Amino acid sequence: MSRRLATPELGGATALVLHRPHATVQALSRQLAAIGLRAEPVWPDLGPDALAADFVFFDADQCHDAMFPWSPGEAPMPMIALIGSEAPGRIEWALGQGADAHLLKPIGTGGVYSALLIARQGFETRRAAADEIAALRARLAERQTVVRAVLVLMARGRSEAEAYAQLRAMAMAWQDTIEQAARRICAEPDDKTAPQAARKGHDV
Amino acid sequence: MDRKLRIGLLYSRSGEYAAMSAACRDGALAAVADINADPGQGITIEVVERDPAGNLDLYGPLCAEMLAEGDLHHVVGCITSSSRKEVIPALEKVGGMLWYACPYEGFEASDRVIYTHACPNQHLLPLLHWTFPRYGKRGFLVGSNYIWGWEMNRVAREVIGSSGGDVTGERYLPLGDTDVGRLIEEIRATEPDFILNNLIGNSSHAFLRALRELRETDPAFAEGLCPVLSCNLTECETPALGAAAEGAVSAGPHFAGSTLWKPVGRRRPVSSYAAAAYVAVTTLARIEAARSGFPEGLRAHGIDPETHHMALPVLIARVEEGQFRVMHSEGAVEADPYLARRERWPGATRPMLKLVP
Repeated sequence: MSRRLATPELGGATALVLHRPHATVQALSRQLAAIGLRAEPVWPDLGPDALAADFVFFDADQCHDAMFPWSPGEAPMPMIALIGSEAPGRIEWALGQGADAHLLKPIGTGGVYSALLIARQGFETRRAAADEIAALRARLAERQTVVRAVLVLMARGRSEAEAYAQLRAMAMAWQDTIEQAARRICAEPDDKTAPQAARKGHDV
Repeated sequence: MDRKLRIGLLYSRSGEYAAMSAACRDGALAAVADINADPGQGITIEVVERDPAGNLDLYGPLCAEMLAEGDLHHVVGCITSSSRKEVIPALEKVGGMLWYACPYEGFEASDRVIYTHACPNQHLLPLLHWTFPRYGKRGFLVGSNYIWGWEMNRVAREVIGSSGGDVTGERYLPLGDTDVGRLIEEIRATEPDFILNNLIGNSSHAFLRALRELRETDPAFAEGLCPVLSCNLTECETPALGAAAEGAVSAGPHFAGSTLWKPVGRRRPVSSYAAAAYVAVTTLARIEAARSGFPEGLRAHGIDPETHHMALPVLIARVEEGQFRVMHSEGAVEADPYLARRERWPGATRPMLKLVP
């Protein structure tokens, strides 16, 4: 897969750093400021304000689930783990929390910009995939509705192929998905379907 | 009695980029001479020097060797980005500082480096925004196959695209390659409004010479049409290029004869490389003499304590009869090494709002 990364305009973005007061926080804040972000150290809990942040850096060594105002894996922004101890349990926990990238402690002057870009790209890919999966699941759940709508239309003397073609045409005319159109057909009493569609002026 | 300050110089006196090294070295030594001749400075400088001779693998060890002398914390040196990245670990180990006096492609802000030459919002962005209304927005991008060429052209592609222009072609040559025939044919075929030249050294010289021939034979590329833009063409190279450099447009913080960059006003360095190295040495000497320390003392000398980059004038100049003639200039522009702060981009248009249906 090829991708072109645009230079992200990070100026003015907010990055929360969930870490106890420490040289790590200073080094990270210095690097974030150099890039153009506003770094805010937070400890020991992310408050509800955290929901408005653009990035969250968190200490993989000492943080735990209760410090975050969201369920593990459901952060609404890219998250970057600050890893000191490379114990498998801690890495597993950081991944479960939804880390899109990581930085190894001690934090030097390199790595922060890459972590921001990798985390953002990973987060957006993950979110787009989750949205797509949710949409596909919803459509899958409506399979039975589609079958019922085809049966409703067949009851008016059409063949199965004609009934399905008509359902597709109605969905297009109403600018709905097939599943939404099917739900509409099923929701209406059999004798009202045709006049309702005609009233919309889009029937075919 | 004056305080003694030892500083290191780390410039390659031979190899591919020896001309730029020599310019920086001259600028640094001129600053040392000026400071040592002025009793009012309260400081005298002693120079320790190492010559990596263009060998990338020698930069780290030679820098470490100078820093190991104990009372030496400041090193002025490096031309290429790769050599700069080689010395940073040595500087981090002992808390040393590199003063880097070359234009570069940005996307770095080490707290062990002070950058006294320009990054893209101080050279490439203003150069492109100056060019668009005068020549058009269709550009051909050429570069040497390494980070300077890749990243400068990537930024240019983004700026051209977001300004509604077109990239008519993008080509790279291996370092040192002088086989430019195909490049020239592609440029002739696509007739761009301008060419952005991020080739370096011999490749760049061969390209400019071949383009000079094209100008003499093809009226579409006659004098005054389709300028060649670059952010690293300086007086270091124009004498060797002769007529091939005529008409080339370059951006930088200083050109010979300019007085806009205040810290070098009196000395009149002959190129921006010399000027940036001169400013590096005089600035570090003043900070040390005042004992104002780092990073507190930086702001007073035009260095952003957050990015360690220097606010610089932006000059756009064209080579006319072997001399750079300044066509456009603006006052101090704060550096934005990560291109994250639009308010620091001279001439940039406001972001366009797109309506997504």
